[in-house]
Amino acid sequence: MDQVNNVASEKIKTVNISREMKTSFLDYAMSVIVSRALPDVRDGLKPVHRRILYGMQQLGNTYDKPHKKSARIVGEVMGKYHPHGDAAIYDTMVRMAQDFNYRYTLVDGHGNFGSIDGDSPAAMRYTEARMARIAMELLRDINKDTIDFRDNYDGSEQEPVVLPARFPNLLVNCST
Amino acid sequence: MEKINNSYTAENIQVLEGLEAVRKRPGMYIGSTGESGLHHLVWEIVDNSVDEALAGYCDHIEIKILKDNVISIKDNGRGIPVDIHPITKKPAVETILTVLHAGGKFGNGSYKVSGGLHGVGSSVVNALSEFLKVNICLEGKIYEQYYERGVPKTPLRVIGETKDRGTMITFKPDKEIFTETTIFDYITIRDHVRQLAFLNKGLKITLEDFRDEHRKETFQYNGGIIEYVQHLNKGKETIHQDVIYVHGQKEHGNDTIEIEIALQYCNDYNTRIYAFTNNIFNPNGGTHEVGFKQALTRTLNQFAKDKGLFKKDESLTADDVREGLTAIISCRHTNPQFEGQTKAKLGNPEVRKITDTIFSEGLEKYFIEHPTDTKTIIDKAINALNAREAARKARELTRRKSPLDSLGFASKLADCRSKDPAISELYIVEGDSAGGSAKQGRDSEFQAILPLRGKVLNVEKAHMNKILSNREIVSMIQAIGTNVGNMFNIENARYHKIIIMTDADVDGAHIRTLLLTFFFRYMRGLIEHGYIYIAQPPLYKISQGKKVAYAYSDAELEKILNEFPDNPKPTIQRYKGLGEMNPEQLWETTMNPETRTLIKVKIEDAYEAEQVFDRLMGDDVEPRREFIQQNARYVQNLDI
Repeated sequence: MDQVNNVASEKIKTVNISREMKTSFLDYAMSVIVSRALPDVRDGLKPVHRRILYGMQQLGNTYDKPHKKSARIVGEVMGKYHPHGDAAIYDTMVRMAQDFNYRYTLVDGHGNFGSIDGDSPAAMRYTEARMARIAMELLRDINKDTIDFRDNYDGSEQEPVVLPARFPNLLVNCST
Repeated sequence: MEKINNSYTAENIQVLEGLEAVRKRPGMYIGSTGESGLHHLVWEIVDNSVDEALAGYCDHIEIKILKDNVISIKDNGRGIPVDIHPITKKPAVETILTVLHAGGKFGNGSYKVSGGLHGVGSSVVNALSEFLKVNICLEGKIYEQYYERGVPKTPLRVIGETKDRGTMITFKPDKEIFTETTIFDYITIRDHVRQLAFLNKGLKITLEDFRDEHRKETFQYNGGIIEYVQHLNKGKETIHQDVIYVHGQKEHGNDTIEIEIALQYCNDYNTRIYAFTNNIFNPNGGTHEVGFKQALTRTLNQFAKDKGLFKKDESLTADDVREGLTAIISCRHTNPQFEGQTKAKLGNPEVRKITDTIFSEGLEKYFIEHPTDTKTIIDKAINALNAREAARKARELTRRKSPLDSLGFASKLADCRSKDPAISELYIVEGDSAGGSAKQGRDSEFQAILPLRGKVLNVEKAHMNKILSNREIVSMIQAIGTNVGNMFNIENARYHKIIIMTDADVDGAHIRTLLLTFFFRYMRGLIEHGYIYIAQPPLYKISQGKKVAYAYSDAELEKILNEFPDNPKPTIQRYKGLGEMNPEQLWETTMNPETRTLIKVKIEDAYEAEQVFDRLMGDDVEPRREFIQQNARYVQNLDI
């Protein structure tokens, strides 16, 4: 091994496989538990839902304005708040617009948003969306110092830790 | 008189030299100065108590993790002798604690069977401890002696009276030696002592943690390894109800060999065969395991044939009969010979024959008495045989596509130009986005790139068939060239550095665990030969005007920011994915041998690693939940 390593300045550290497995697994598992899989009891939203709603509000994509292309919304949310795949964000937004998944839908969709039979929705370049009227109540008074904000993933933006939520969304819509 | 004094002094100097050597090269004696080495100190002392139990003098061991990570181990054995040793002219206990390789286990007599663990004894623990206190209850008196870093600070003295017998050792590992950590892990210690309790039927071991939250557990198993098998199979679906148990003893020359085997089949595809000699785990098996497998295969074949369960002239192989098998093989030998320094493999040739005879007799008896179970087990093995046939065909298919003998290479491997494995490197990269950067940034003379899509299959939970039809896994097998499982051959490795390069986020961490699981389970030789590495991409880019610096940790970021002037404000970019970097940045920071840092993956403790993979990646949810609950507060990187 060592004779192969002909670059004198190369730095090689070692790690025990058990330690590496434990730390990496714990980082992943805890992150999933804390910030992906579980909704916050106060607004009934997981981070991705919260980011979509906040992103739509920041875009001015409210119930009283015309629909916007889904791709624009996804792009906004992905670039500013949610540094993960676009498919995950779009799928979540689609669900929020499906009246067979939500008792009161939080997103008002326009176009093919799928059906209860399992038809898939149209791609995000075709569909359009805006916030549902009831979703406004989740965000109402957000700028009146009702909730805390924190840095986004790269510190270039601010995002809400939780939404003010004027109605108990977890009871109303449940969560999966 | 003077002569005796001289020899005493000379002796004394040698003693100091001995322990000095331990402090200078602790790795030689306890494997490492990391976490494994730290826990090794505990095993060393506990094993001495277990030896007392094996000799029949001790039935209770108490282990306490005290505040400040001090360990105390107490047994009710005979107590270390305190009379003056004829050669060293010091109390026997002081000799044992200060002279390397001193102890009652080298001459025959006081111990019949001994793990003698890693053969170095209490003196090494003493040498590597900030302090060590020994208390001995013997013949109505309590003795005490105190040491610091292996040097006696008080003479052995009587401090009281007692009716008990036994030894108690209290020590604190030296943080000058264990620079990485001196924090004991409760779960690691618990798993180890529970295993000892399983292997030593009836022995009671109490473990108590007095640090943050008080915990106490007692382990005592009157069923011994039968309960061990039941414990390992907890949460799994077993295909026959009773654990098969075989026990026997034979003489060979002057040695006595005792074999104990317990096994049960589950409805899954993994094999869990753990072989032990005198309580020591043998990760690479040895003659007892070989004897066991031979007998198992032969006996199953014989019964299947007699019952007419084979189609044509089929026969089961060792691989078929071990699918879904959980087995414990415990061998007690008065004179064990091991291959390799870590006692990884038992070498005594006579053990193979003896295990074979004892086990096949016992198994035949069980099969005759339990015809239904026998049928179930044979059916399971025949299923495995059929699946193996199918897998072989699939494997042949993949082999035909191998890049070495034809051009029909369908995977996304971007190979290097060099054909010399010794200088070739394979980067396994997360995602096509990063794959592109890596491919453009690499030195194509010796660096090959293999991008993998998404999360790799968790092989711990999948059957061989499924694994061999998984695209990402197959492209890795093809690229590396060593083949997998029992067809693995390190000689055929096409790269001597296989570097896992994932994003510096928690999903990257997850993919890393999945890849390591695959290598550990199917290409372990790569890890054992030191071929597996983890790349270290930077976490931050700090730029100010034209000046650019990279930080690989938060501490480094802090340091760099202090070096940069305050004005203009430096901009910090947190890298979420490798694809964010330009190819030349990736080369500069992570791939260029002159500037990069690689982390080599090694297996310090094979048994512990087995447990970790089983717990973190296996089917059973409960141990994983427990791991997360116990360790949640130690989490280092949370992704929000």
